[in-house]
Amino acid sequence: MGTSAIELTGLWKGFHDARRDQTVIAVEDVSFSVARGEFVCLLGPSGCGKSTLLRILAGLDEHDLGEVRVDGHASVVFQEHGVFPWLSVEDNVAYPLKVRGAGRAERRRRVAPLLELTGLTDFRGAYPHQLSGGMRQRTSVARALADDGEVLLMDEPFGALDEQTRLVLQQELLRIWPDSDKTVVFITHSVDEALTLADRVLVMSARPGRILADVPIPFGRPRDILELRRDPRYGEITYELWRLLRKEPAETRPS
Amino acid sequence: MTTDVKQGSAAVHEQLVQRLRTHRSGRIPKIIGPFTPLLLLVIWEVASRSGMLDARFFPPPTSIVGTFADLVMAGTLQSHVLATLSRVGVGLILGAVPGLVLGIALGAVPWLRALFGPVFASLLPIPKIAILPLLLLIFGLGEASKWVIVAIGVFFYVFYNTMGGVLQTQPIYFDVARSSGASRWRTWTTVALPAALPSIFTGLKLAVGGAFVIIAASEFLGSRTGIGYLIWSAWGTFSVAKMFVGIVTISLLGYLAGLLVARLERRLVPWSRQ
Repeated sequence: MGTSAIELTGLWKGFHDARRDQTVIAVEDVSFSVARGEFVCLLGPSGCGKSTLLRILAGLDEHDLGEVRVDGHASVVFQEHGVFPWLSVEDNVAYPLKVRGAGRAERRRRVAPLLELTGLTDFRGAYPHQLSGGMRQRTSVARALADDGEVLLMDEPFGALDEQTRLVLQQELLRIWPDSDKTVVFITHSVDEALTLADRVLVMSARPGRILADVPIPFGRPRDILELRRDPRYGEITYELWRLLRKEPAETRPS
Repeated sequence: MTTDVKQGSAAVHEQLVQRLRTHRSGRIPKIIGPFTPLLLLVIWEVASRSGMLDARFFPPPTSIVGTFADLVMAGTLQSHVLATLSRVGVGLILGAVPGLVLGIALGAVPWLRALFGPVFASLLPIPKIAILPLLLLIFGLGEASKWVIVAIGVFFYVFYNTMGGVLQTQPIYFDVARSSGASRWRTWTTVALPAALPSIFTGLKLAVGGAFVIIAASEFLGSRTGIGYLIWSAWGTFSVAKMFVGIVTISLLGYLAGLLVARLERRLVPWSRQ
């Protein structure tokens, strides 16, 4: 699987609440690596520090101990509300190009195929408040593609969507990603989402976040979201992942 | 059989549509509503002419309209309006621009806010009209003192609303800018400013209202022109109708200026829900 694109060794991250004089460890001794072109899902309960981990990978937060290496630039697809309400769909997608000084004509030229790819061409002039949640997240994905980092970090991008829309967007992502040559780290709290999308699932514990297991997903690509669910292995892996997640709170519960 | 059912449901559908269309609550008050101020004027007119209302303090509206026409014919009203509007206009720009720039700067940069926030907070409670005598000493009786006092009033409205707008911006927007590789300046212009625009306009609307209050009071004292002066001088000559003309005119100017800002807002902030 070639060289790794992301390498984390013994990573720790804590927060100190000065007012209550409490220190919370969000990420505890996390180590893993992601190969170039690999699709990895970080699966864990809410508040387990997976978003913190992503922010560190994105360079938005500093880590306290350990080492992080990310090859090249990392583009981020944020959770819902990550699109700018004051920009049209097209200008949202073109935003990374604009802040780096690309001219109007160049922005248009580079954004057009991305709008087409994400099914947004007809909505290019609309503002986010005129769009459904699904369309807004398409915009977010298209913007990250315009940002064009070698690494794509996705922070529960479909978490706020209804079930059907989420399945549609997962299928779209599976369609778009193979041609993009990008290494993906995708954060989710959904077992189904993780094993539908990933090559490998890293299961995280509740806070403080540790890596509990590294589960390879055997499904080939291209994948069909519906057909996957008929595969007997789908049920087995679902069971395995849930078992890992369920075991966890009982162990870490303070009582 | 099936067609029967279809026709039946179509008829019911039509009936329901009719009922929903014709059923409107509060229809009569809605129609009459806009005319109640007119009604008030009619009552005023009758009361004033019949002597139920003291005509020295409340001259009948028709005579106020007559005075209005006289003042317009003589060109006095227009020149007073122009004087007031130019003072408000210049003062607005002189106050709003620094308010906007400093509001964004202090909103976006924590150490600037920690350092200079208390300065503005301690100046805020000073009633603006209380410093007019000082401004008259410094800037004289000319236009400059009017510009400055309006500007000071406007500044605080715009400054605090802009800063508030930037502070309330969802952190995720700044994250997007940072991960897209935006420089600090780019982050200000592409995130902090547009995110604060809805509050900036709230500030501007308050500022326009405040500007007319301040300019009217300033013109009472240190001026020979402007609507404030018109009202004040009418007091001196006890021409109450003229006073009412001044009051109505300045209210109207304030109202129209507010409309202008609201229009600008719809243009520049199309994403904010009305």
